[in-house]
Amino acid sequence: MTAGSTPSDTASPDRALRRLFLTLFLRGRSARGLRRANVPQSLASKLALTLLAYAAFGCFAIAFVRHPVFELSIYLHGMTLVFCGMFIAASAGETLFNKEEGDILMHRPVTPQALLRAKLTVLVQVSLWIAGAFNLAGMIAGIYTPNGNVLYPLAHALSTVLEAVFCAGCVVLAYELCLRNFGRERLESVMTAVQVLVAVGAVLAGQLVPRMIGRASLSGAGFGADAWWFNLLPPAWFAGFDDLIVGSGGIRAAMLAVMGVALTAFVAWLAFGRMARHYETGLQMLGEAAPTKLAAKQTSRRWLAAFVHSPLMSWWLRNPVQRAAFVLVSSYLIRDRDVKLRVYPGLAPMLVMPIALLMPITRHGTGMAGSFGVAFCGGYMGMIPLFAISLLQYSQQWQASDVFHAAPVPGPAQLCAGARQAVTCFITIPLAILFGAIVWFLPHESGELMLLLPGLISLPVFTLSPHIGGKAVPFSKAADEAKSARRGLDLFGVMFISIGLSMLATWAWLTNWFQWLLLGEIIAVVAIYALMRASLARTPWPSME
Amino acid sequence: MISLQQLTKRFGEQTAVDQLSCEIPAGQIVGFLGPNGAGKSTTLKMLTGMLAPTSGTATICGYDLQRDTLEVKRHVGFVPESGAVFESLSGLEYLEMVAALYSIPEAAARARIEQFIAFFDLGFSTLTDKLLGAYSKGMRRKVVITAALLHNPPVVFFDEPLDGLDANAAVGFKALIQTLAREGKTIVYSSHILDVVERVCDRVLIIDKGRLLLDGKPEALVAASGAGTLERLFTQLTGGAELERRAEDFARTFRP
Repeated sequence: MTAGSTPSDTASPDRALRRLFLTLFLRGRSARGLRRANVPQSLASKLALTLLAYAAFGCFAIAFVRHPVFELSIYLHGMTLVFCGMFIAASAGETLFNKEEGDILMHRPVTPQALLRAKLTVLVQVSLWIAGAFNLAGMIAGIYTPNGNVLYPLAHALSTVLEAVFCAGCVVLAYELCLRNFGRERLESVMTAVQVLVAVGAVLAGQLVPRMIGRASLSGAGFGADAWWFNLLPPAWFAGFDDLIVGSGGIRAAMLAVMGVALTAFVAWLAFGRMARHYETGLQMLGEAAPTKLAAKQTSRRWLAAFVHSPLMSWWLRNPVQRAAFVLVSSYLIRDRDVKLRVYPGLAPMLVMPIALLMPITRHGTGMAGSFGVAFCGGYMGMIPLFAISLLQYSQQWQASDVFHAAPVPGPAQLCAGARQAVTCFITIPLAILFGAIVWFLPHESGELMLLLPGLISLPVFTLSPHIGGKAVPFSKAADEAKSARRGLDLFGVMFISIGLSMLATWAWLTNWFQWLLLGEIIAVVAIYALMRASLARTPWPSME
Repeated sequence: MISLQQLTKRFGEQTAVDQLSCEIPAGQIVGFLGPNGAGKSTTLKMLTGMLAPTSGTATICGYDLQRDTLEVKRHVGFVPESGAVFESLSGLEYLEMVAALYSIPEAAARARIEQFIAFFDLGFSTLTDKLLGAYSKGMRRKVVITAALLHNPPVVFFDEPLDGLDANAAVGFKALIQTLAREGKTIVYSSHILDVVERVCDRVLIIDKGRLLLDGKPEALVAASGAGTLERLFTQLTGGAELERRAEDFARTFRP
């Protein structure tokens, strides 16, 4: 399919579809303005960096080298399931049900089953790249475990392939069940809800499970592997497979391995065979025109209109451009599948942090570690709107943002202000309440809650910072750009500032300078915020090149 | 070549296409007309195997639409109104991918692609170096038309094919479809540009609210109705005359 390739005489539709979906996955689906020559380099470096990060994270498995094969495998398969689940859940909706794809492929002589097969092959293939990178160190560590041997990498590679197929099968089956059981009107919203829940669940599990396993392991409490319910967990089945081939084996390992293989085969048969006809129905549904009556959406439209025109909001949104941006961002946060899938799973780790950071307090009591945990919690709360705004600049309909440039608005400041107001209403305030409740109910010393303040005070500056230079205009960038390494680096930078602030707050708390720190911070935040607003107000529209 | 019997499509309680029946022989260029929401695109999507009919049947080149869907797809080409393409592929990658879906050997596909890019005056370097996302609307449309004709189908459905094409390309395209029809291909041409339809098509089908209103040669239909032009006949049939009066009222009363 590449321009420079030598044409051969054979042309296989199946192979062409696999290459197509892999290319689309790697390059993204929208690429206005790109030259083909620039694609492979940026693509290769992005992919290499991602896999390197997974491989580095996988090095934690070396800590399990003194544990038996089964425990190492449980950790590896647990984390692999989380990563693959996250990846497949996040990619499956876009890959399996793309509206535009219907006009391009549905009138070609390919069966829906062939499309499904090609898409799943690509999903499993990329999952295996991720799994391979993450498990690399663990596979080597497995050789040196007390009951491990040189067969471990092979056994673990096989069980990881099974796990990836199981994971892909489960996600596809969930979609097919939605297609079978819900009407066309509710299909889109149900699929979105399923996808958001799976992605949020995977992120939460990814943050919490390793910490819980690590704590249990370090305290010598074990994994609770003897409990009956442990046999129901998919990582246990695949760890049993490893243990059967390499480790101590035994009847339990054999039983778990058989369960893993049998259930993977069953899920694959259901998802890729028996239920596959529902995929064709789903593709046709997406190709149909929008239904005329959507009572639920009309209700949400009326609710939003009433909310915007309430006396308080009318006053707050008295600027018509800000009000328009508020309604646009709110509507997308409530209705748009693509935006919901990006924003809500992206914010899920925020909810986990209070739990994760306050955990040490229960073990070690208060002191430096506990105080820093609370202060960093506050820092995280301050960053919530920053994360949300930085994610809201991406959309599949990004080309529609040309209308902002065409409108007689001098610059992006008012649009950005409307977006910030929507984020404050629908994300910052609800999450801060939830966040505060979680922190309150976790064991802590109530006096230490004051340490949340430095992070909260910094919130207005963090909220405004993505917009400096006229950037992060809502829905103005292609959705594929959300994956860029640059965005991740920016967020890491902000995180380091937050860590620095938290360390300063902890030091001030322990040395009784805290009230002076707060006073200084308030003055600094007010000054910086005023400067940033003035700068943004003067910023013209950036060039549309 | 194309035969429709009582073809119907319902979305819930809404009937998009209502018992449509007609026969279209080989070598004919048929204009498929109707106002927005008349059911044109739904009919074309059914005839290209993209949507399953609720009831009724259709055969294309002797193949039953529902029983032999894949064979039907092998024998039709379709230019959808959306002009959707995979934007992150280059033009050549896209066309080679489409050729592979029809099992056209790569060497033959490359030769056919070169013929089309010469006809449409697309540079080969543009086709290889730029991703489709960077193409102008007209260039993208040329690629979509090429993709529809690459496998040399006996039946071609065009849904607003001139959208985005410049005047020269449009003239070339009209000549192309007339040539294709002379070679025996059946062309179904759906468009809102009625004067083009009047000049190019041998026959016109006008539908509204999913039902067939009129079927015949454009000049005969215009003469029989006394409307003078196809456009006037169309507006008389589909309520457009009322719109003209409303536009005049609007212009009189609209004060920004």
